[in-house]
Amino acid sequence: MARTKVLMLGWEFPPVLTGGLGTACYGLVKALSKYADVQLIIPQADRNQTLENVRIKGLNYYGITGEQSIELPEVPLEEYAKVTKVPAEFSNPYPVGIGFAKEAKALVSPEAIRALYSTSEPYGPNIMQKVATYAEVVSRMALEMDFDVIHAHDWITYPAAVKIKEMTGKPLVVHVHSLETDRVGEKAKGDWNKVYEVEFKGMSKADRVIPVSRYTQDCAMAHYNIPEEKFYPVHNAIDPAETFRIPNNSGEKLVLFLGRVTFQKGPEFMVETAWKLLQVYPNVLFFVAGVGDMMDELKKKVLERKIDHKFVFAGFLSKSNVKKVLAQADVYFMPSVSEPFGLSALEAAQFDVPCVISKQSGVAEVLPNALNADFWDTESFANYIYGLLNYEGIREDMISKTRKDIAQLTWDDSARDVMEVYESLGV
Amino acid sequence: MAAICFYFQVHQPYRLKNYSFFKIGKDHAYEATAQNVEILNRVSDLCYLPANAMMYRLIQENEGRFKITYSITGTCIEQLHRHRPDVIDSFRRLAETGCVEFLSETYYHSLASLYSPTEFVRQVKLHEKAMLNILGVKTKVFRNTELMYQNGLADLLDEMGYKMVLAEGGRKFLGSESTNQIFQSKNEKTKVLPRNFILSDDIAFRFSDPTWSEYPLLADTFASWLHKVEDPNGCINLFMDYETFGEHRKQETGIFDFMKHLPKQILKDKKAHFATPSDLLKIKKTKPPVYDSPAWSSWADADKDASAWTEDHMQRDALRKIYALEPVVLKLGKPDILDVWGKLQTSDHFYYMSTRYRNDATHQSFTPYNSPYDAYLNFMNVLSDFQGILKAGS
Repeated sequence: MARTKVLMLGWEFPPVLTGGLGTACYGLVKALSKYADVQLIIPQADRNQTLENVRIKGLNYYGITGEQSIELPEVPLEEYAKVTKVPAEFSNPYPVGIGFAKEAKALVSPEAIRALYSTSEPYGPNIMQKVATYAEVVSRMALEMDFDVIHAHDWITYPAAVKIKEMTGKPLVVHVHSLETDRVGEKAKGDWNKVYEVEFKGMSKADRVIPVSRYTQDCAMAHYNIPEEKFYPVHNAIDPAETFRIPNNSGEKLVLFLGRVTFQKGPEFMVETAWKLLQVYPNVLFFVAGVGDMMDELKKKVLERKIDHKFVFAGFLSKSNVKKVLAQADVYFMPSVSEPFGLSALEAAQFDVPCVISKQSGVAEVLPNALNADFWDTESFANYIYGLLNYEGIREDMISKTRKDIAQLTWDDSARDVMEVYESLGV
Repeated sequence: MAAICFYFQVHQPYRLKNYSFFKIGKDHAYEATAQNVEILNRVSDLCYLPANAMMYRLIQENEGRFKITYSITGTCIEQLHRHRPDVIDSFRRLAETGCVEFLSETYYHSLASLYSPTEFVRQVKLHEKAMLNILGVKTKVFRNTELMYQNGLADLLDEMGYKMVLAEGGRKFLGSESTNQIFQSKNEKTKVLPRNFILSDDIAFRFSDPTWSEYPLLADTFASWLHKVEDPNGCINLFMDYETFGEHRKQETGIFDFMKHLPKQILKDKKAHFATPSDLLKIKKTKPPVYDSPAWSSWADADKDASAWTEDHMQRDALRKIYALEPVVLKLGKPDILDVWGKLQTSDHFYYMSTRYRNDATHQSFTPYNSPYDAYLNFMNVLSDFQGILKAGS
């Protein structure tokens, strides 16, 4: 039987990473290439690197004869991540206000297109222009390509994907890694939010929707009114990695918050939890690794609560530094208000760090041996962290059971699930 | 044919309230009183009262030929005494028929036999006293929490004057011998009654399972299975939770109707008879086969061992810590402190912490917690407060 030919539309891809989207896309594409012929189009590709069996086209090389297609070598993800340059001013990796940006026209000249995508900033203030241009350019490219199914990752690629479906009649699968309602909450549904509209249109026009969790499916059904029969949830996974522990000799226990400091990640619930915990148990330090638009507010709240001496704000950490922190952490804490998946919790779990996570997170579905509470239930969070830091029996049980949970999560399984989605479309 | 020995376990724990770490050192009331009373009322109305009434009628109808046995835990009889005197009265009436035996066990339905012989003896004596004071009965035969048994237990029971103990059946313990007979302990001092777990679980578990080949089970069918056991010196031991009637198996499943018809169907065979453990103790047999369990056995789960209470790190940590308090508690010697310590030993607390059986339907139906981790953390917070009280008192 002929292998299914997939036109994959992505946005973040190593080495360009700001959150879980690029990591998940990489893991899936790599595993999927075993079963299908994947052609991936992304805004920015690294020409020096290739990935076996995957043709990757980067718009940063658009219009250069013979240079549109580049192959990425098979290099471990962390190697990519090491070379990622994060500019100092990169304080807001995913601008939350995107949905309220002005509409933009697509660029046409190859030089302008190449320049548009040759920055280290995958979003930025001109994001709508990037999205519009991507839709124009990629749909034109698609007309000259041979494929059976379109597979698009998150809203930034949906306009292109819908256009290609309309022009070619090929079936469309949209992959939902995150929704505007996760990122900005209820106000995403206001008439003026264009991202919400793009997501709604993408999921409405799609033949299949792959949410990264059942939680995300529930969100898409509740907030976007997409019919249940379209959904085929496929969980993210994690590749086995070498992990290590670094003894923490500071005398203080370490609770780690890792992620963007934005509304979505619930930083204010972290402060409330910390405040409650510290009243009873002062021997703990909250380590915040990440940046975002709520950073100043977070620092203000910590000062108001007079617990600033118990917080470390480390900013955006490179992958290798993240590992060093994970190797010392006693608890991983993710009080997200709405977390479609939460790959970083899997990374923490891989480092044998017990996880305390919100029930409003997809990763809870694959980490049954993590502790979870509603994101607003800071008393329960504090109680869990207190227990993990004080009672020795629980750590070993959680860690040994979680190791088994993680061993069962492979990208190969996720890729097979995606293949079933393609098969359900008759391709 | 063999004697039929029906024994029902009656138990309710003192469940703990939601006790967050904020309460440590401030709040010394640990029980979920409203929840405990609510469950006690529900089980009393669905099971204890109607089942007791049914058993009483069956004893009257069969003119003393129908006999049954109960074991009621101290934590249960205490709660019934306080909140449901009507249930206590109905047990007293059953006791007065002379056809009902009541067994001994640890007052707190604890695992003391695994961790502290001294505490074990204290709790068994406490239970004997409660049975005498509340129900007016003298207990003669012993059953341990969840039918836990190990060869060494027989020595302890012998010292305490018990001549018979109940235990789980199965090849692991009985070898090639028939289940339907009286065994003896390895030290040959105590008689052991092994549970016929197939016939017992037909009633306790499979009865309401529509996928079971024998579903729906009727009394005459079940009686015909019992009639096949011919050994006149043998006994068929049908041991189960009393809550099977009306609580675990709801009335709509027909469990009461089944039981109502069963004694008559069994007694159709003229050689059939019911017996209590004390009746069986009178059977003289030169050399009963040995019941051999070097490790702890129990009637729980597929493995029939103590793993549902003792396998996880959390369980072992909690158990180790609660029994480590024994010297301090005994030194203080205050009745209320001893009582709190005893209640914290109730095996249910540790059962709720089992991660292995987390998704098991039986475990899930008992636990008041969302996860074994919640069960452990809640228990440990309570224990921390209790440790604080002991520290302040000593």
